[in-house]
Amino acid sequence: MISRIRYMFREMWASLSRNLTLTAAAIITSTISLLLFGLTLLMQRGFDNQLSLWTGDVEMIVYVKHGATPEEVQLIRGQLEAQDTVIESVSYCDEACTFADAQRLFAADPEALKVLTIDIIPSAFKIKPVDRDSGSALTSLKEIVGTLPNVVDVRTPDEQVEVLSKLRGTLAPLILIISLILLAGSVLLIWNTIRTAMFARRREIEVMKLVGATNWFIRLPFMLEGLVQGIVGGLMGSVGVLWLNSTWTGAMEELPGTAGLKGMVVTDGFPLWVCATIVALGALVGAIGSGTAATKFLDV
Amino acid sequence: MIRLDNVTKSYSTEVTALKGASFDIAKAEFVFLVGPSGSGKSTLLRLMNRQERPEKGSVWVAGRNINEMPDSKVPHLRRNIGNIFQDYKLLANKTVFENVAFALEVIGRPRHVIRQQVPAVLDLVGLGGKEDRFPHQLSGGEQQRVSIARAFVNRPLILLADEPTGNLDPATGEGIMKLLDRINKTGTTVVMATHDQRIVNMMRKRVIQLDRGVIVRDQARGVYE
Repeated sequence: MISRIRYMFREMWASLSRNLTLTAAAIITSTISLLLFGLTLLMQRGFDNQLSLWTGDVEMIVYVKHGATPEEVQLIRGQLEAQDTVIESVSYCDEACTFADAQRLFAADPEALKVLTIDIIPSAFKIKPVDRDSGSALTSLKEIVGTLPNVVDVRTPDEQVEVLSKLRGTLAPLILIISLILLAGSVLLIWNTIRTAMFARRREIEVMKLVGATNWFIRLPFMLEGLVQGIVGGLMGSVGVLWLNSTWTGAMEELPGTAGLKGMVVTDGFPLWVCATIVALGALVGAIGSGTAATKFLDV
Repeated sequence: MIRLDNVTKSYSTEVTALKGASFDIAKAEFVFLVGPSGSGKSTLLRLMNRQERPEKGSVWVAGRNINEMPDSKVPHLRRNIGNIFQDYKLLANKTVFENVAFALEVIGRPRHVIRQQVPAVLDLVGLGGKEDRFPHQLSGGEQQRVSIARAFVNRPLILLADEPTGNLDPATGEGIMKLLDRINKTGTTVVMATHDQRIVNMMRKRVIQLDRGVIVRDQARGVYE
C-alpha cells in the first residue's frame, strides 16, 4: 500500500512538473474564478449586513427607549397593531437583537461600537406595511407612531438603502454568473492539461496496461494532479479573498461615519468560511476536470 | 494453456484478420506464428492478451474464456502474460533497472520484492552491471533483453513475442532466441510471431502458419516454408 501511495505522488509530481506551463495556466484560471466566486459571497454578505435592518419587506423601524417596561412595550405594540389598515405585521426586536444589528451595521466603525453598548441601546419594532409603495400612508403613519410614549425614533429606509438593495439585486448575480463561467473554464483547462499529460505519457500507459496495472492505478496519479491544481487554485484564491477583504475593511474604516456604509464589511468568521468553501470548490473543479479526462483518454 | 476455438476477427467489413482459427497450445510449449505481413499473426497475439476481442469463437487462457472475462479482471490476466515487441517499448526516461522495476511497481509489488527480483532477472538476460544505463546507451539487442526482462520479471505463465528479432542483426537475434529458449525451459509458454526464416529453421519448434487470416499449417518441429 505504501509503495502504491509513494508511486501515485511521485508520478503526480513528475507529471505536474513536466507540464509546467499548462499547469500554471490551469492554476491561474482556477485562482481567478474561485477568487471571483469568493468575492461574490463576501459581497452578498456585505450587502446583507448593510441591509439587514430592512430584510423581509420591513419599511419602518420604531425605536423604543432603553429600559422601557414590558407593559410600556406592550402598549406600543397594541397601538401599532391597531393600525391594521396600514400595517400588515409587527415584529419586536429586543435590546440584544438591536445590539446584534448594531454590531453588523457598525462593523467598520470601532468608535461607534464603543459607544453603542447593551446598556444604552434601544429595542425596536420592525414594521411591514400593507402597501410598501404608498409613500403618503407611510409618512402619516410615521407621524402618528412618533408621538407614542417611549418611542425615541422612527426610521424609514433612505435612498441609500434603496440603491444598495438594487445593486445587490443586479451586481451580485452578474459576478456570480461570470465566476461560474470561469469555473467551467477551469474545469476545461484542467481537463485539457490532463489530456495532454496522458498523451505525453501514452507509451507508459500502454506498458502499464500490458503488464497488468488496473485502470484505477493508471488514472489516479492524473486525477490527483487535477485535484492538486484545483486545490492550489482554491488556496491562492483564498489568499486573494483574505487580502482583498482586509483591504476593503481598511478602506471602509477610513470613510466618514456619515457615509452609512460601515456595514459593508465582513469581519466575523465568514471570510474563513468562504476560504474553506472555495478550496473545496477548487478540489471539486479539479476532480471533475481530471476525473473525466483520465477516464475518457485512458485508451491513448 | 492457450486454446482458440473457431476464432474470427474483422477490423472492417472488408478486412478479416482471422477466419475460423482453432488450435491448442500446451503449457511450456514454444510456438512460432509465421506468415506474410497482414496474415493475422499480431492479431492472434492481441487476442491472447485481450487487447482485441473476436467476433466469433472463443479464446481460452489458463482455463478461462477471456472473451467473457469482465474488464476489471483483464489486468489480473495480463499479470500472467509477458509481452515482447519488435520496437521494445522501453521508457526512454527510465534506466534499465527502472524499466524492469516499472512492471512490478505498477502492479503494486513491494519495494523489497522489486529490489530482489529485478537484479535476478537482469542477470538472467545478461544485463547484470548495466542497471543504471538508459535505453539510448544500449545496443538494439540489449534493449530487447531489457524488454524481455520486463516481460519475464513477474514470472508469467505465457510470453507473447511480436517479431522480437525484427530489428536485430542475425547474430544478435540468435542470442535473443537462445534467451527465449532458456525462459521456455523454465516452464513458460512462448508464442512468437516472426518473419525470420533462419530462426524458425534453427529452432525447430512447432510452427503455425497463417495466410490471409487462415491457418494453413500447424506442424510440430516445423520449418519456415
